[in-house]
Amino acid sequence: MSRRYDVIVIGAGHNGLTAAAYVARAGLRVLVLERRPTAGGCAATEEFHPGYRADAYAHRLGAFDPRVARDLALERQGVEFVRPDPARLALGGGRALLLYRSPERTASALQSLDPHDAARWPAFCRRIADAVALLEALRRRDPPSMPAPSLGDLAALARTALGLRLKGRSRFAEVLRLLPMPAADLLDEWFQDPLLKGSLAASAVSGLMQGPYGAGTVYGLLQHLGPGEHPGGEVVLVRGGMERLVAALEAAARKAGAEIRCGVAAERVVGEGGGGGCVVLAAGESLSARAVVSTLDPKRTLLGLVGPERLGPAVARQVAHLRLHGVVAKVHLALAELPRFAGAEGEDALRGAITIAPSVEYVERAYDDAKYGRISQHPVLEAVIPTLLDPGLAPAGRHVMSVMVQYAPYRLAAGAWDAARREALAEAVVQRLAEYAPDLPRAVLGRQVLAPPDLEDRLGLTEGDIFHGQPALDQTWFMRPLAGWARYRLPVPGLYLGGAGAHPGGGVTAGPGYGVARAVLRDLRRR
Amino acid sequence: MSAPSFDAVVIGGGHNGLVNAAYLARAGLKVLVLERRPRVGGAAVSEQVFPGFTFSVYSYVVSLLRPEIIRDLDLPACGLEILPLESTFTPLPGGDYLVRWADHDLTRRELYRHSPRDAEAYDEFGRLMVQLAFAVKPLLDLVPPDPTSLEPSDLLGLLKLARYVRSLGRDRVTALVKLMTMSAADFLEEWFESEPLKATMSASGIIGTFLGPRSPGTAYVLLHHYLGEIDGVFRAWGFARGGTGAVSEAIATAARRLGVAIRTGAPVARVLTRGGRARGVVLESGEEIPAKLVISALDPKRTFLHLVDPAELPGELVEGIRRYRTRGSSAKVNLALSELPDFTCLPGPGPHLSGAISISPSVAYLERAYDDAKYGSFSRRPYLDIVIPSLIDRGMAPPGRHVMSVFVQYAPYTLRGGWTDAQREALGDAVVETLAEYAPNLPRAILHRQVLTPADMEREIGLTEGNIFHGELSLHQLFCLRPVAPWAQYRTPIAGYYQCGSGTHPGGGICGAPGRLAARQILRDLRR
Repeated sequence: MSRRYDVIVIGAGHNGLTAAAYVARAGLRVLVLERRPTAGGCAATEEFHPGYRADAYAHRLGAFDPRVARDLALERQGVEFVRPDPARLALGGGRALLLYRSPERTASALQSLDPHDAARWPAFCRRIADAVALLEALRRRDPPSMPAPSLGDLAALARTALGLRLKGRSRFAEVLRLLPMPAADLLDEWFQDPLLKGSLAASAVSGLMQGPYGAGTVYGLLQHLGPGEHPGGEVVLVRGGMERLVAALEAAARKAGAEIRCGVAAERVVGEGGGGGCVVLAAGESLSARAVVSTLDPKRTLLGLVGPERLGPAVARQVAHLRLHGVVAKVHLALAELPRFAGAEGEDALRGAITIAPSVEYVERAYDDAKYGRISQHPVLEAVIPTLLDPGLAPAGRHVMSVMVQYAPYRLAAGAWDAARREALAEAVVQRLAEYAPDLPRAVLGRQVLAPPDLEDRLGLTEGDIFHGQPALDQTWFMRPLAGWARYRLPVPGLYLGGAGAHPGGGVTAGPGYGVARAVLRDLRRR
Repeated sequence: MSAPSFDAVVIGGGHNGLVNAAYLARAGLKVLVLERRPRVGGAAVSEQVFPGFTFSVYSYVVSLLRPEIIRDLDLPACGLEILPLESTFTPLPGGDYLVRWADHDLTRRELYRHSPRDAEAYDEFGRLMVQLAFAVKPLLDLVPPDPTSLEPSDLLGLLKLARYVRSLGRDRVTALVKLMTMSAADFLEEWFESEPLKATMSASGIIGTFLGPRSPGTAYVLLHHYLGEIDGVFRAWGFARGGTGAVSEAIATAARRLGVAIRTGAPVARVLTRGGRARGVVLESGEEIPAKLVISALDPKRTFLHLVDPAELPGELVEGIRRYRTRGSSAKVNLALSELPDFTCLPGPGPHLSGAISISPSVAYLERAYDDAKYGSFSRRPYLDIVIPSLIDRGMAPPGRHVMSVFVQYAPYTLRGGWTDAQREALGDAVVETLAEYAPNLPRAILHRQVLTPADMEREIGLTEGNIFHGELSLHQLFCLRPVAPWAQYRTPIAGYYQCGSGTHPGGGICGAPGRLAARQILRDLRR
């Protein structure tokens, strides 16, 4: 049977497009199938109120893989990564704190809040830099195959460990200790100011069904930091919205020869038998390829596209037990004017992320609600105002605010995510913001709420988990998505996982797309 | 009179100090154990708190006392008799209950009543856990290799460890990584659906931590329940005849037979050092006792910050010990009873009272108990782990009467407003009220009540912040990180000064392993 494609990529999110671009650049024939009418997945800019557009899902980048930006010449194609400075405006307890890119500037901003913390901030940033660098190094390489790592894996690990060790014995020991710690404990060791600690705790639990008192949340605090970034400062935006990034990735993929078909949902993936390839069934068609890359989440991929019967009971059970928990809702506000936050002078203060998390305890209490299946009465908020970067997203003089609201659990103990509950959530968000920007409620012209079930319906995220699987220690690195299948290959020959459920995980990073392309190319060349 | 000179002085006559002393003496050293209190045992003591009623005042069950230790020190010949604690009874608010019996078929039938699926899964779960317990056991008998060291012996240790892990195979490694990193509730959710079963099993993961069952890092303690079984000596949990003090007494007897001298009522003020070497100790009385080796069985904060001048230690170690987490989270209530509790769900006396009684109806119940503690209160409805030793060991109480030992979590050391007499009694009341909801006759059966808060445990037996494990058993304080890297190999920066308490690998509980492993390390160093 002659094949029209070498590789079929399922899902045209940023990871799917990245994978397609790399594989096509290597001269292979690539087809991308996207269920929705446009590419983008979680990286999409959509109109939510007539004339007002916002990044509908992810509203900032994760630790974006610099290799992808360079190889695909994203900046030349009009993508502008913006690193606002100050990166974050933290609000809480009637106070405001600006977190800057440079530890020294943050320290001077902290001076008026708490001189003790101001003095410690630069040392804290230095102390955790080793762990950030370690995570960055692990992100850029395939996880080792466990429990029997190859010699190459071992050599790479030994090199990393030795590099760390040569920085000093105590610095090495510190890294070992940091990752499994509760964020609350680490923050208490260093700081006293509740607002500083609260805003960092909010970063630590972003997207997690955990509170900052839970063990392992220091990993949460560090895992989204790019090289040289400091906690709380991991704010990178795309001017004009995520659609610019997607357009550039799409263009790169097409230019390299990939074919992208939107509005076509892949229904099943079946093995080909003998040839080692796969067949994708979509829209009544049967498409065969030497390799298939699914960028859907691992549950949807393995239980939906493949089907539990083909996995065998042991693997099927492991997949069924992957923890995918939606905890984030999105609220989009169309604003008649720029909100004025008490204590934050000037537009510059609003160009980064705006966090409402007054204390660690506040964040933990917000989690307490979710733990029992309730929406947080006092949620943790992270807002951005993209119109400050690109006024074209709203009518002249108007603004857009995109708010990530946590915790909004997918599974509610009582009742369902109905319209009333969505409205109540939006109302709670506006009220919370109004405590710091009293004029804001009057300026709201329109709003939209996307709860976890909406994310599931629109994007196919199981349970609305924005990371395709909780980014906890037991679902990371050589355990992501499953132990033994963490190097992009799945238990079905010819099928690969290349979405956020694969190493190095969630966020708009292009990391999984890059990694899966490398794995596919390596395997196809070998055959 | 000139004092006899000793090779080694062990500070603290708890079970780990005694085990350590016994092993050193067995190797031919002249050893002295110094105990501040009038009797040996530390947290493992039996005392007649009320006339006629004997309690295991602090720790109440014997978990995991290493079989090697029992063998090496011939403890049965020294009077140790372990009585198995075989069932776990969880009364439920709606009038139902869950009992896991020693008898496999009975348990299966009982689980089936709650969930046929769980009954099926229980055996498979048990098999996996026994396998994993086999896999973990060697790690408990190992001086943790130091990953930060470039010494050949440590690198070799790491290599051996890696090879060992590799030999376990993928499934077991995966399950182990999950056990180490997951929450008990999540781990159990993969297997079971019945709330009381998940809650009662996950409760073992929170004991001694300041974490809830949904916090990562609480799953691995589940293994402890299966470790005892594979040793074939006795089940994971048991009583010592005469209370846990009898364990200490038996080890003390063994130690004395090996030539160890034990002095009680001899509080140590500090360790004498000169030129970076330990030279002995000085007692609070001013008496100096010279020795080449000094071993502290106290918790790490006392070992490094009180017994020696922190100025003699590297700043990083002092900082590490200062931030070492020792939040006490549990209390103990000892009750003298005129009659047995009569549970509404399973009335009258019966075998269900002879094992552990666990107030842990659901994971959410445990989480709510934790929530109270997080914000500085004791749990209004706490998790309770109860035993009635007088049912098994009649000598503990006058005829017809009983002693009940209630382990209570959470009772934070850092109670908002501090622990006052009124707060202590309020905690006692909360415990009794909680119990009365399941056994309404209990309040009027109480003849005497003793409530021990974390603050009491700190004052009475010197546990910093009342932490029963000499430091929380959380992931970043285990194995090569216990108490802090790179000082997890029982040594200290002061030559001749060692640590052997529960604040070292493998941690707390009456297992004796830290004392034994420390002795092994000391003897190895002496041979060099």
